Amino acid sequence: MQQERTRTRWHPIAASHDLPPRHVFHAQLWGREFAVWRADDGYVNVWENRCLHRGVRLSIGINDGRELKCQYHGWRYANRTAGCTYIPAHPADAPARTITNRTYPAVERYGLVWSCEQPEGEVPGVPGLEREAPLALRGIPVNAPAALVVTALRAHRFQPNGRIDGSDAEMVVKAADDFSVALSARADGAATLAIFFVQPVDSGRSVIRGVLDRDPGAEARNAVLRHHNAGLSVLRDNVERQAAARPAPAPIEPVYERVPAALAELPEPSAHGRKAALRVTVARKWEAADGIAGFELRPLKGLLPTFQPGAHIDVHLPNGAIRQYSIVNGPGESDRYVIGVKREADSKGGSLCLHETVREGDVLAISEPRNNFPLRRDAVKTLLVAGGIGATPLIAMAQALHHQRLVHSFHYFAQNEAQLAFGDRLDGLKDTLVPHLGLTPQETGGRLRDILSGYAEGMHVYLCGPGPMLEAARAIAGECGWPDEAVHFEYFKNTRAIDDSSAFEIALARSCLTLKVPAGRSILEVMREAGVDMPSSCEQGACGTCMATVIEGEPDHQDVYLNDAEKRAGTKIMTCVSRAKSARLVLDV
Amino acid sequence: MITLYDYELSGNCYKLRLLMSILGIEYKTAPVDFYPGREHKSEWFLKLNPLGQIPVIDDDGLVLRDAQAILIYLAAKYDPSGTWYPRGNPALLGKISQWLSFADGITATASAARLHDGLFYALDIDAARAGAHRLFRILDEHLWFGEREDRDWICSAPSPTIADIACFPYVMLSEEGGIPRQDYPAIRRWCDRVKRIKGFTVMSGVFPAGPA
Repeated sequence: MQQERTRTRWHPIAASHDLPPRHVFHAQLWGREFAVWRADDGYVNVWENRCLHRGVRLSIGINDGRELKCQYHGWRYANRTAGCTYIPAHPADAPARTITNRTYPAVERYGLVWSCEQPEGEVPGVPGLEREAPLALRGIPVNAPAALVVTALRAHRFQPNGRIDGSDAEMVVKAADDFSVALSARADGAATLAIFFVQPVDSGRSVIRGVLDRDPGAEARNAVLRHHNAGLSVLRDNVERQAAARPAPAPIEPVYERVPAALAELPEPSAHGRKAALRVTVARKWEAADGIAGFELRPLKGLLPTFQPGAHIDVHLPNGAIRQYSIVNGPGESDRYVIGVKREADSKGGSLCLHETVREGDVLAISEPRNNFPLRRDAVKTLLVAGGIGATPLIAMAQALHHQRLVHSFHYFAQNEAQLAFGDRLDGLKDTLVPHLGLTPQETGGRLRDILSGYAEGMHVYLCGPGPMLEAARAIAGECGWPDEAVHFEYFKNTRAIDDSSAFEIALARSCLTLKVPAGRSILEVMREAGVDMPSSCEQGACGTCMATVIEGEPDHQDVYLNDAEKRAGTKIMTCVSRAKSARLVLDV
Repeated sequence: MITLYDYELSGNCYKLRLLMSILGIEYKTAPVDFYPGREHKSEWFLKLNPLGQIPVIDDDGLVLRDAQAILIYLAAKYDPSGTWYPRGNPALLGKISQWLSFADGITATASAARLHDGLFYALDIDAARAGAHRLFRILDEHLWFGEREDRDWICSAPSPTIADIACFPYVMLSEEGGIPRQDYPAIRRWCDRVKRIKGFTVMSGVFPAGPA
């Protein structure tokens, strides 16, 4: 009985004024603790009050306005989704999607923040509070069970606004139930309705959250607040004396779910692997720069999955094409995905379709975000080097580095100023943004040499841009002494001609399958035909999604995702384009 | 040069480190093995402070004991802005002294509970915790109404005073004595504000705040 009630009834767990910017409020309802925080965009997050790593309370964490950072080992969780975006002990990896904290609903109403474990319906309307701006009183924590507090409140007395110096108000109980009492006070023609909600913190603890039907205005407000605070403090002392005379009830032991069911399940296997699990609306389409269209994609329902800087989505276009676009968002900007699409002269239907056919209001199917280009936050200095539309993942990275106040510089090569994309975002990055405009390939090479000279241990560079520029930048970085593991890059596409003339055998060690890959077919295609599910995205050896681990055999690398050291090591393979030089490959699949 | 006779885990020593960090005062520390060595009861230390308590400072021969007294001295002598202990404002000085005594009350309750839980002192733990909660209720109410009166700090001044420094450490360390601050949201917000004072420094058990 109590279990049912605890789960389905909405209760106030905080006042709106308890959530100033960059603060984490510590709330509790029926024994379950919450970390409650307001992001800079106004969104109120109500989360299980424990870090998924070591269980430390997130209410002592840091609200940086976009993410909540645990004090213990610095795990960062995103606004809205509570998905983990960064684990300092694994700086090179994007956290698994299962690392998502449990969230609870939050509704702000009457100056209070309401939540519920398993809500049935909306926060109920409260008669008398709907008319004009109500006034939330100071919450009064009471060391007594809610039932005792409610009983005492039925006999509570106060004076109406404007008459607080008297003591003879006529009190009427307008309504009452197990967790609230509505009282009206009348004196000398003045009347005030007060609703006292009793938040059951635990079996033996409560908070009285009172709301007056009317804010008396700035002049009288503090005196009214003090009047109620004094009266409720006396009530509290009386109730606590009663409670202390009784045996204390045992505290409620909340049940903690390990991982939400939706996250714990493996995705269903499918024959194609390129899934479009999400439906989004094009909320806004605009010219983000000369020849570049910006798209703001919002979810049809629910929340979008957590992303990190460097992540991309597959966009499934009305014409059947599937294209990859980097998410431009800054940290915590979790109510939408923003992408930038350049109109390509030699478009095979992707960019042209998005530019000409897709309009605001259209619904698109997209994949969950994937991150094969993760951003480390432990560099002594980070260089971001973008060419043209390659700026999109790096704008996301620059915003994250800027927000975390990490040392970086952002070099953005473009033909001219009009081609610098997402000017509104670049405006916020002025301190570190260095545009390089209208340079010839030779001049670009010289500039890259300037940028990449002066390597010191602990620096990392992230490159994204047209193939020739990336080739040049990677070569120059090598000459300037950058080790391969400090040079991170992402190609738009693989322009190499793929040689698929070889035929070989693959042994899938985990799946206990041996398959023949004939000339003209890819490892990925052969695996899928055999019912082995493998995620993929670009399917041309650029994005890194279909990577597999090689246990035995010599890969024939044809991708542009792995760096030279990784290719030499021969332990990873892009199954969409790469093949085998040996007669047999054993894969950890 | 100031010498601070210091114990790293003492909130009363931390008060002085905190104010000296904020004011940019150079000092050196002389560690006192408070636990388990009980060096504050040793012969050499009792010559410095016959009460056998830390902290003590020695500022070029001026030896001072009592954390609150030392806060007054440091602010009066080393704060060129004059805001931490505004000598020309009697009403404010009275209020500051009032809250310095309140801070002694926090030491007698919240700090005592922490000594019981952390360093195995034999004392009435229930009384210590109940006393701390009584003080915290008063402080939370004071700070909650302060927020409505544009008063960010314990005293009615536009910037913090040594009253804030005196009350902060043992409030912030209260959980080490089994005294949660969940019921004191205005205290929790004030703690964030103290942590954002320029020059703020931490000690074991006191975590930093993020950027405002």
